[in-house]
Amino acid sequence: MNLQLDDFWSFYEWFFRPGAFLESAALKGIVLAVLGVVLGLVVGYVISSSRYGSGEGFFAVARAVRDLFRFDLPGTRIRRIFALARLAFKEAVRRKVLYVVGLFVVLLLLAGWYLNPQSDDPARLYISFVLTATNYLVLALALFISAFSLPEDIKNKTLYTIVTKPVRATEIVLGRMLGFVAMGTVILIPMGLLSYVFVTRGLDHTHAEVADVRELASGGFEGETDYTRFHSHHFELNEAGEGVTDMVRGHRHVVIRKEDGSFRVGPAEGALRARVPSYGSLVFRDRSGNLQEEGIDVGNERLAGGYGSAGISRLIGVSRGTRKIEHGYVEGGGLGTAEYTFSGVTADRYGDSIPVDLSLRAYRSYKGNIEKGIRGSITMKHPSKPIESNPIGFTVNEYEVDQKFLPLEIEGTNGNKTEVLNVFEDLVDEKGRMTIVVRCLDDSQYLGMTPASVYLRPTDHSFAWNLAKAYMSIWLQMTMVTAFGVMFSTFLTGPVAMVATAVCVLLGFSAEQVYDTRHYIDAGIERGGGPIESMVRLLKQDAMTTQLDVDTVAAKVIKTADAGIVYTLDAIATALPNLPKMVNTAEFAASGFDIFGAILARHAVATLGYVLLAFLISYFTLKAREIAA
Amino acid sequence: MDTDNSTAVAETSEDTSPTTAKSSDSVVIETRNLSKIYRDFWGRKKVHALKSLDIEVRPGEIFGLLGPNGSGKSTTIKLILGLLFPTSGRVLVFDQDASETQKNERIGYLPEESYLYKFLTAEETLDFYGRLFDLSAADRRDRVKQLIEMVGLQGAKHRQLKEYSKGMTRRVGLAQALINDPDLVLLDEPTTGLDPIGTREMKDLILGLRDRGKTVLLCSHQLADVQDVCDRVAILHQGELKELGRVSDLLKVQDVTEVHATGLDDAAKAEIAEVIARHGGSVQSIDNPTATMEDLFLNIVRESEARPGARRVSQAAETKDASNGSTSDGDQA
Ligand SMILES: Nc1ncnc2c1ncn2[C@@H]1O[C@H](COP(=O)(O)OP(=O)(O)OP(=O)(O)O)[C@@H](O)[C@H]1O
Ligand SMILES: [Mg+2]
Repeated sequence: MNLQLDDFWSFYEWFFRPGAFLESAALKGIVLAVLGVVLGLVVGYVISSSRYGSGEGFFAVARAVRDLFRFDLPGTRIRRIFALARLAFKEAVRRKVLYVVGLFVVLLLLAGWYLNPQSDDPARLYISFVLTATNYLVLALALFISAFSLPEDIKNKTLYTIVTKPVRATEIVLGRMLGFVAMGTVILIPMGLLSYVFVTRGLDHTHAEVADVRELASGGFEGETDYTRFHSHHFELNEAGEGVTDMVRGHRHVVIRKEDGSFRVGPAEGALRARVPSYGSLVFRDRSGNLQEEGIDVGNERLAGGYGSAGISRLIGVSRGTRKIEHGYVEGGGLGTAEYTFSGVTADRYGDSIPVDLSLRAYRSYKGNIEKGIRGSITMKHPSKPIESNPIGFTVNEYEVDQKFLPLEIEGTNGNKTEVLNVFEDLVDEKGRMTIVVRCLDDSQYLGMTPASVYLRPTDHSFAWNLAKAYMSIWLQMTMVTAFGVMFSTFLTGPVAMVATAVCVLLGFSAEQVYDTRHYIDAGIERGGGPIESMVRLLKQDAMTTQLDVDTVAAKVIKTADAGIVYTLDAIATALPNLPKMVNTAEFAASGFDIFGAILARHAVATLGYVLLAFLISYFTLKAREIAA
Repeated sequence: MDTDNSTAVAETSEDTSPTTAKSSDSVVIETRNLSKIYRDFWGRKKVHALKSLDIEVRPGEIFGLLGPNGSGKSTTIKLILGLLFPTSGRVLVFDQDASETQKNERIGYLPEESYLYKFLTAEETLDFYGRLFDLSAADRRDRVKQLIEMVGLQGAKHRQLKEYSKGMTRRVGLAQALINDPDLVLLDEPTTGLDPIGTREMKDLILGLRDRGKTVLLCSHQLADVQDVCDRVAILHQGELKELGRVSDLLKVQDVTEVHATGLDDAAKAEIAEVIARHGGSVQSIDNPTATMEDLFLNIVRESEARPGARRVSQAAETKDASNGSTSDGDQA
């Protein structure tokens, strides 16, 4: 999992972006709201002046706005919203949407067909499978039930008997949304429970037999477990006959030697977890020891992506280019280091060691010994004083999280003296901060890292809770899609409303690609251009990085039209919710990271904002609509 | 046409004073110069369904909207309910604009077809509509039970509406219109789909509503219904108001005398006018005869087709509304 800049933002930072307000969610929300209002007024005016004439049209719009605040909002009653929600819920139930749960069960039963049993990371495989399946199923469902209901009611005229009761447009809209969200919730809960059972049962196993057991000189034992589920473990036991196996495929087993000399291997442990990382701030030093903000760029790292975190500032061209964090590299041999400074390193947060996880990348400038990984070291260091521990070496294990435990007592240097240092007393400053220095030990080879590559891990949360959080994120997405579906269905027919919602979802998912395209157009990078240019290139079978091979006038026309299209798409995509980010919570769960509360809170607030927007648009369109026409 | 309009004006103005300020006491529904043009998606005119309609419905009366198919009856009702927006003119219901939701607290509406949720049972349907009003749960239950009994669906109340016959659905539709014990009931063709007994019950129910002080607006082309229950009727043709007044007045033929007599033999009947007294027969009644509703209706339609255009109608309110049709002179000539 490669965390991006904005993943680290706290809720407050995300919402206000202190120092860069143009990037803030608050501003985006305000702009969207203002645009919504202005657009609503303009469209409303055009429609009503075509209906009543230009002067009356103005009053009609003013009246609609006044009605909302004077009558409809104060007159909105929970009782009626619930009654309508119940109806929407019942409608969905009678339309047999609960079968989706059945479909999900079938999908799980057939999972053996697509889940590779020999995977190196079965936990990731299982978790991302269930979450992806749930996500798409539920979004598709939300799309269906929300887009068709209101148009059906208008077509069947059942809405006549509702709007002739003292029901307000607000209640109709909220009732629908609530009913469908309730429906989605009722579907999501069993899916979540099934997923939990599926994942835990799927990963649960033990090893019945042991092999090659040798007694060690120290009095302990060492051996191998049997080969079950395409893997076996190596284990070492102490004199008392207790120990654990090594980590294979993300889990290990406790092994105990029983009185009668037989061995008992416990259940798989550690496969399902929710690490709660404590991230530090990262600076680099180059080979001569000078402080740098970024590591060495070994190339081809920052071509695309990460624009989304720039919010409005990107749209209006204040911030340009990609913002994806990529790995910065530290050179081996010289004085190059990466220094992570962590805060909150206090005795009460950590037990008898400090767990630290490394997920580093290696870059070889020459082949070296290909059998062995590149070596590095970590050193604990006082943030300001010249006190540091002796280095602890490691070999880079790329694409896997390397879990280490730093001892609390370690030999090191204090100024010029060599002594045994106590981490909390000697290496942590008065604010509870400690620095960890990462070096590359192999000459002219490189270690790559991002701020998320090295972190301390004071606690783990339970996997169940993390899965629940991933489901909450799916729930939020479902709520958003439902709101959009209902919104479109207030003025479009069912199928069209569904397509419109689907387009929004798809555009939301591919926002970064749209931003990429715009970036290339802005920066004059030949990358295939916009849709028309791409089509031309496809037909002419031209490569995308060549100059467009048509005459200058044609090229000009094509490029102008493309720019128009891309800029429009860009604006729309910016206005839409950042769905990929929301789906990405699944990646957290699959990688065994606790889903940050801040991220979930952001998604929740964004969802609320979009639902509110959809609600207002729905209200006005419904209100302006002649139900019986 | 034989009907003397001036008489009708004189008589109707007796029971209500047209000059009093319009409070909800004097007028329940008022349409002012109400017109509706149906347009297609591009705003092109399709149908001019209603042309400057002016009617007033007063509290406690049963008002009938009559007219052939497509004459704009349902359109009028939908405009009154705010389901449609007028192209020009206004509708006031309880002195509020038709677009106000608040008025619906006191309104019950039976649509021309029963637009109900097919997947709900009768009981669920009524319970649902009941929840849209400010009723306590106990009241709601009572009302649902009472209405189901009233429309005679006790035996079928747990069945989904999709299994119902047309008449049964119609009954549920009626029950839902009455769920809030409305002061104003709008019934769009209340008797269609009902069997003769059902029709009779419906009429009794409408009369019962009036007796309880409710106002009823119904539209129908079942002339017998209208004749039986309505206090006043408006007759529409092609979106224009053709006739308006008390049923009894409209059906009265002023310059003809009708004699009901018994005990006459066939020969006597032939010279009845002179010989009643001579033969010692007893006169039972001497009256203006009434035409049947059907006669009236057919007359109006025929005449309207011969001479299209709005007709001057006998309404108390017209005295202050000069914009009403000016063809009445021609009519009477
Ligand atoms: N939604 C609509 N769109 C276009 N035209 C309509 C619409 N509804 C009604 N009309 C037209 O308006 C006119 C009046 O229709 P309306 O339904 O009011 O008649 P009605 O008097 O209720 O007739 P019926 O006795 O058949 O119910 C008709 O010509 C009809 O075709
Ligand atoms: Mg009709």
